[in-house]
Amino acid sequence: MTDQQKRGGPLAGVRVVELTKVWAGPYAGKLLAFLGAEVIRIESEGSLDVTRTYGVKDINKAPGFQAVNPQKLSVQINMKSDEGIALLLELVKESDILIENLRPGAVDRLGLGYEQVKKHCPNIIYTSMGMYGAEGPLSYQTGYAPCFAALGGLSALSGYEGAAPAGVNIRYADSTFGAAAALASVAALNHRSKTGEGQFIDVSAVESMTSMIGDAVMDFSLNGAVRQCDGNRHEDMAPHGVYPCRDGEWICIAVSDDQAWQRFAPALNLAGGAGALAGRFDTFASRKAEESELDDIIANWTASHDASELAATLQGLGIAASKSFSSVDLISDHHLWARGFYADVEDSEGQSRPIVGPSWKMSRGATINKAAPKLGEHNKYVFGELLRLSDEEQERLHTAGVTR
Amino acid sequence: MSALNEVTILELSERVSGEYCGKLLAEFGATVIKVEKTGTGSPTRRMGPFGKDTSGPENSGLFAYLNAGKQSVELNLDSASDHATLLELLKTVDVLIDDHGAKWLRQYDLAPDSIAERFPGLVFCAITAYGLDADDDRQYAEDLNVFHSSGLGYHTPSGAADDLPPLKGAGRFLPSYEAGLDAALCISATLYERRSSGLGQLIEISAQEVLASRVDYVLGQMIAGDMDVSPSRHTFDLGGPAGIFPCADGFAYLWMSAPPHWDALRQLLDNPAWMNSFPERWMELDCTAERVAECRKHITQWLSTKQKHQVAEQAQQLGLTLVAVNNAGDLLASPQYQFRDYFSEIEHPVLGKFHIPTSPYRLSATPIKTNVAPLLGQHQYSMPNAAQFGEPQ
Repeated sequence: MTDQQKRGGPLAGVRVVELTKVWAGPYAGKLLAFLGAEVIRIESEGSLDVTRTYGVKDINKAPGFQAVNPQKLSVQINMKSDEGIALLLELVKESDILIENLRPGAVDRLGLGYEQVKKHCPNIIYTSMGMYGAEGPLSYQTGYAPCFAALGGLSALSGYEGAAPAGVNIRYADSTFGAAAALASVAALNHRSKTGEGQFIDVSAVESMTSMIGDAVMDFSLNGAVRQCDGNRHEDMAPHGVYPCRDGEWICIAVSDDQAWQRFAPALNLAGGAGALAGRFDTFASRKAEESELDDIIANWTASHDASELAATLQGLGIAASKSFSSVDLISDHHLWARGFYADVEDSEGQSRPIVGPSWKMSRGATINKAAPKLGEHNKYVFGELLRLSDEEQERLHTAGVTR
Repeated sequence: MSALNEVTILELSERVSGEYCGKLLAEFGATVIKVEKTGTGSPTRRMGPFGKDTSGPENSGLFAYLNAGKQSVELNLDSASDHATLLELLKTVDVLIDDHGAKWLRQYDLAPDSIAERFPGLVFCAITAYGLDADDDRQYAEDLNVFHSSGLGYHTPSGAADDLPPLKGAGRFLPSYEAGLDAALCISATLYERRSSGLGQLIEISAQEVLASRVDYVLGQMIAGDMDVSPSRHTFDLGGPAGIFPCADGFAYLWMSAPPHWDALRQLLDNPAWMNSFPERWMELDCTAERVAECRKHITQWLSTKQKHQVAEQAQQLGLTLVAVNNAGDLLASPQYQFRDYFSEIEHPVLGKFHIPTSPYRLSATPIKTNVAPLLGQHQYSMPNAAQFGEPQ
């Protein structure tokens, strides 16, 4: 049994080949690896991913690459050579899923499009990820994560009330797209285990964004209503906002319903600044009607408080309150550490390194214990064990530049 | 043929995360039986947008979106006989989805340990904001709190002004949709394994962890000490001139980070004089606040008279990553969405005909199918003790 098989998990025994770059494709592969699949990332010296190289001294310790590629295998295959393509197809024959997020048309030019791969590997699940999907009048267009969010309708909804759209943070979008690709791939795996049939999966980044605002889109579909930026407002709750606290910190408070308001109002009154509140905002309609004034009252009250302490006090009253986490709060969150969300893994030199773990816990989940691979760290395993190439053949391929 | 057509799922969810998870699996062909509170149904039935601008249990666009293709049965879990019916149902299904939390599950004798013992073949997915074992100070949460516990909130928008509050993101339920997506992934994976093992298992999804893992590229570097952390609201940002700009008919987003983008912009603008004062590779090597402001000023001026779709097409032809900031109307009208049938036209007995957003993938052998949402109690006849409920209407 290989180390990989010993990890267990629901996708144990599934092999995935990744022809990916940057974040979205690698994120899809990471999710599958975290579920127990053996995920092999194809790399080569001649076309290293930007996350291996950008601003990096040692490509084997590239911070961005390490963040998104734990638990994967790395093999070097030069896809600009015919022999490299042939070798890759041999590997795909031994695999269940191929994921690619290269530029539109790139896999076809390499001879690795679905129809081409299918000739050699008829049962492969081939997952193609593109900004707009693989086909269609706009599929030639390209972009980065914030473009997905803009095109998918998300950015138009994120911003201050009455102001121009500001968008969600620039880091949002790639990973959501990757998660959608992972889900579709695993659904297809279920179909294949019943029927033996593989298939082509075409995933659109832009559509993955629209799916995250489906209810807002429904308002247009049903009523022709084009929703706008609404700050921190929520049509079903009031108050619902992010309020200033001491030392530049912020607290998020969502009063879920009238009962929650009844628990919240005394806290405001006790603070001494809102004695006139009694009875005035008891109904959702009355709070919604004067939401701006209510927000001002709350903001005046929160401003002198410590965000964490106030959040704990309000939680004690049964109110949905939390501190808005800065990066410092995020990496020091006792809850995330206690749950093992930040997990220690080992790199190829035996050094321990913390990673961002999966969002799930499972009764029989996969062991996650390895850091991202060094370039070509698993050449020997892939070429020798999986493809059964002799040492001499491996040496020849290396010398010829096919496996560099 | 559908990917999950042999799978039956029981859904106890009453929030967006669990209902969205069930919707994703129903699109793959799973039979999803939604248990709703007798008489009133799911709380999402009482949330907008409402069709024809009126409310009512069958008139919620939110419910119609989240519950597309499911079956609905009514149960009063406070009644002993209905609770017994629930336990009977659990013997017949493959998956149970819930999004209430540990206390509610205990209250209805559905604690995960006890479920695992009584139904060893059942896949049980529990979705919560902070996990089933959340601390006392994490017991109450809405999507706003989850978004802000992941770092995404504090850093939204990019380039935030310190005196304005950080934002909740787009729409009402983004964190819930995200949690539902990971839940559906995990359920699909465990179903795959269950085909050979016959064993169920507990899947626990923390929405906070879903959102935090979505920023793994930065958070992974921060936790490993490779990227600075600080109370600044800009630690997730990339800087540079990229951003949203007003156009004649809305807004456009321009991404620029590398020399080819700069060269394409120069070509698109017909080599304007102002660009000559910028050094080569300035965005990489010398990206000062002054240069960014100067660059943005000129781009703002140029785009102010342009139509967003038109200018985006011209830019894209030159390799410049400029795109329209689309609103819901743009999406329905998008030739790309129409080509891919992203919106499916369905007919609902109360809401009438409308276009519903489907999911972002097209599967060649097992196409997804987005069907109409059920009326409250529409599938009561399919219950184990169906005789008492009469024949289907």
